[in-house]
Amino acid sequence: MMAPGTEFGEGDRDYRLTSPAKSSKKPPPETSESIRVRGLVIVSFWAVVIFLGLPVWLWTTSIHRARLPLQEMLDWADGKACKPTFPLQIAIEAPFLQDAEARHLMRMTQHALDDLNEFSAHHLRLRLAKSLSSPSGRNASIPESQDLEIGQVFQSYEDLDVRDDSALTVRLRAQDSIQAARSELQSHSTILDVAYAPNQTPSVSSSSSALATFIANRLQELFAEEQAIIAYILGQSAAGIQSTLHSPYVSPATAPGSREVRSRPNRLINPEMAARLASRMTRSLKYAPTYHITMSLFTPSASPSSWQIESALAEYLTPLLDSISAVSNFTVDTQVQFHATFSPSVHAPEHDADHGVWTLQEEDLSGFINAAEWPLSPSIGAGPTLNFVLYVPDQTTSPLVVKGTQASSWLIPHWGGVVILNPQDASTTSVGSTLSKEAIRPALLTFSHQLLSFLGAPQTLPSLPLQLQTLTRIRAASLLLSASSTMGSLARLTVALPSIAIPETVSTAVDATLSHLRYTCNALKEGKFTEALENARIAEAEAERGFFEKSMVGQVYFPDEHKVAVYLPLLGPVGVPLIMSALKELKRMWASRKAQRT
Amino acid sequence: MKDSFCPLLLYLLSCSLILAEPDYHERLNLQPLTPASLLASFNFWSKASLQSYEEQHFRYIPRSLGQILQHAKTRELHLRFSTGRWDDESWGARPWGGTKEGGTGVELWAWVEADSDAGSFARWVTLNNALSGLFCASLNFIDSTRTTRPIMTFEPASVGTNASTDNLYLLHGTLPREVVCTENLTPFLKLLPCKGKAGIASLLDGHKLFDASWQSMAIDVRSVCPADGSECSIEMEQTVDMVLDVQRSKRPRDNPIPRPVPSEGLRCDDSKPYAGSEICYPSDISNGQSWTIAEIFGRPIQGSCLAEDSNGNPLDSVYIDVPNEREMYVTSGTENKHLSGTCRSFTLPKSEPFEMVLSHLGPQTFNDHTTPPLYASRSFTGHGQERGGVQTLLTNPSLTSSISFVYFETLPWFMKPYLHTLTARLSNSSTPNPSLVKETFYRPSLDRRRGTQLELLISVPANSTVILTYDFDKAILRYT
Repeated sequence: MMAPGTEFGEGDRDYRLTSPAKSSKKPPPETSESIRVRGLVIVSFWAVVIFLGLPVWLWTTSIHRARLPLQEMLDWADGKACKPTFPLQIAIEAPFLQDAEARHLMRMTQHALDDLNEFSAHHLRLRLAKSLSSPSGRNASIPESQDLEIGQVFQSYEDLDVRDDSALTVRLRAQDSIQAARSELQSHSTILDVAYAPNQTPSVSSSSSALATFIANRLQELFAEEQAIIAYILGQSAAGIQSTLHSPYVSPATAPGSREVRSRPNRLINPEMAARLASRMTRSLKYAPTYHITMSLFTPSASPSSWQIESALAEYLTPLLDSISAVSNFTVDTQVQFHATFSPSVHAPEHDADHGVWTLQEEDLSGFINAAEWPLSPSIGAGPTLNFVLYVPDQTTSPLVVKGTQASSWLIPHWGGVVILNPQDASTTSVGSTLSKEAIRPALLTFSHQLLSFLGAPQTLPSLPLQLQTLTRIRAASLLLSASSTMGSLARLTVALPSIAIPETVSTAVDATLSHLRYTCNALKEGKFTEALENARIAEAEAERGFFEKSMVGQVYFPDEHKVAVYLPLLGPVGVPLIMSALKELKRMWASRKAQRT
Repeated sequence: MKDSFCPLLLYLLSCSLILAEPDYHERLNLQPLTPASLLASFNFWSKASLQSYEEQHFRYIPRSLGQILQHAKTRELHLRFSTGRWDDESWGARPWGGTKEGGTGVELWAWVEADSDAGSFARWVTLNNALSGLFCASLNFIDSTRTTRPIMTFEPASVGTNASTDNLYLLHGTLPREVVCTENLTPFLKLLPCKGKAGIASLLDGHKLFDASWQSMAIDVRSVCPADGSECSIEMEQTVDMVLDVQRSKRPRDNPIPRPVPSEGLRCDDSKPYAGSEICYPSDISNGQSWTIAEIFGRPIQGSCLAEDSNGNPLDSVYIDVPNEREMYVTSGTENKHLSGTCRSFTLPKSEPFEMVLSHLGPQTFNDHTTPPLYASRSFTGHGQERGGVQTLLTNPSLTSSISFVYFETLPWFMKPYLHTLTARLSNSSTPNPSLVKETFYRPSLDRRRGTQLELLISVPANSTVILTYDFDKAILRYT
């Protein structure tokens, strides 16, 4: 190793040798050693930036986005993944017919039905009941409007449900006394009794039968509203996606049987039907897994001071709630409120001398509920609250009815129902200041009707079990569509916002939703509607959970300008020397190479 | 000790005597206080069976509060709203023995069912948030720094429940700065079955209540499971106490500004030595002053509210503590003089207004007020914003018996008490007497997380005053 002094000496000598006095301003040329060192320094800086800085920066600023099956989600939303179908099994019990005759009748009826049906997604499938000769069927007479207690009604409904998975049973019976066929649907069961004259018995050879046409028409009539509702729901969702379907509804007079027309769900809804369905849909509540029901007794005075609501609920409402529990759960609470006055905006009841009643004006009904004073706050807990108000007017202003219609009950969309119970009606059954169970029975029955319409059950069906079955199918269909469209929204959101983080929980929720949607779709195809509803409920819950994931809702969004503002002051002072030195070095290398070549 | 507070006594009697007890009753106790005040105590009591309460069938227990309590799994609740100062020296013992009032502002304590400390605190926060919305009060600001878990101070009022076996946790919170006003009274009245439209609650008016010298609103919910195994029930008691200045309340509403009495209208105290035609010492004219309910409260009572027992017999709703010799007039309803000679009660008519006139009859028309069992006053000592001290004077007025009680203090986290400076001494000696404090429970504060909790079991000998002092530092607060 050389001593420093020697090195300086040599450097001095070099300097004197290579630099004449006239060019003394010029620095000495760099040694190749120092050029190499400088190059190494620049390369190492760049290496640190590229191999350490960049990965660290990328790693710390990257957003975790779990993989989502985007295409599949969009397919579900667009209705490409599943065409929901509703094949309804209808059993035919014909104990008095020969096997061949019965089969022939069934075939003809099925044919007539197929001709009548205009909506291919919802179709009725006939089959012969297994137990052709059930003893009850042989001896049964058509019951004349039985007035059974509601409790028994549900009892028998549950029995039927367990026994048979068919939506409806048609029981055929020959009756001598009648000329034309007639039918009767019992309000508490899913059995349609059809009585026909013996001469209407179809022969195997005939190609058409009045009885078959009659049965087909009757069945079609029964399920027309359900078909319309389902078509409306499906059409709504389709219209939401494809604006092309917004075209006016095709009139229903087109010849049946043409396949293209059949596949259009809007086909069988005429405009007034559509308007009626739309008002029905706006009235009915959005699906929720739990509803809270609040029953309130309001009186303007201090009497009646109590009601036998616990036993009345147990008898009149709980059976209904139990049977709808497959669709939604319910909690019920009750309260009694005295000295409830109308709000000042409502006109005082007027006396109508002609009818001997006090009347409320119809336009006041919307303000009947005194929201400021009556304690009708929603219940605590998830899920909407339905309020059912039983108003008992003062002795001095009763009976109180609505002007014009003389009605005493009405429905407030999305909020609940009101029934005015006039004490005269109840005076025979109430003891002292307590409203007896019997006195509030009509009110509770009205409330249960209102509840069904809030849930969206069809109104035209006379049989409650059939209504509930229909409700199951409608809810399954609407849940399937709503979960699918949530999937679509989530997929579009994911694509639209590349900076949003997607945690693993969302991915699992999406997977669960899709698998349950598939189950639902298959169950619908197989006609297992209860199972379909169960799966659809899970799918809906999972979809909502995925869409409203907390860490996604509170996403950190930086616009690009913001990023520039953050990074520029940081990278400017560091980046400029780095880039400039690199450029300089490259330029020098370029120059030296050029020099070497020449 | 004599208890002149007649409804309390009667209530206890009636509970044991009358079996056919209705599920709701209300009482108003009027007690004229010297020199010119009137204590009005409103009490609303309702009951429901525990089963119907849990099945959410509400009748007299309000649904809004009942659902909150069930949601927060609260078994017992005590909520207090108070303003003003009770003048011990001239008004005597506090109404209800002081059990229906809290410190100034809002005070809340509850027994909450939970599996663990953390679980109970989560439910406590839920409860506070819900009550905050219900009562329009800032109860949601009762956070961990304002919450304590007292050990000795509170006993559950529920009968038949065991706090340790039922996993019940006691939590206590105060908001001393909360200003109690009309917005708290309105939801309070909404909880009543008659909503202030009938019965004694029709007298409750924000203008009068918050004009009072002292007022307190209380809500107590407890469960009662009788030892004989009969049906458990849940009881709710709402109480409003106020001390009205009779003179002030009688001012007409359209002309509320007090004006000087013209000289011919002045009533002079002639017993003063300097009394003469020129000099007048105003006599205590309000002694035995006459008043009517409408003059004091602005309106008469609007009929009765559910004031019947289960057999349909009317119940007494209005009580007044005046000697029997004083004359009174009522518009309707029956008067019932009690044997003690110091109290009488009235039933309310069903729907007509009820008015009561207390006549003026000489100066000797008051019941003697009772002496409270203890006088307490607390003040700050020290100087500056940083170093200070607290001095509490506790006086036992009884000449014969000593008194034992729990002194409960919560301090915000930025006040750091020095426990070694905590001394108790008798006022007539200068040396500390450690035997005065029988037991101490102290939970130190944590910065920004927990306040100080201090509970002392103190015994004061007869006819003596104990001075309790301790020093504290105030932490320097950051501005951010």
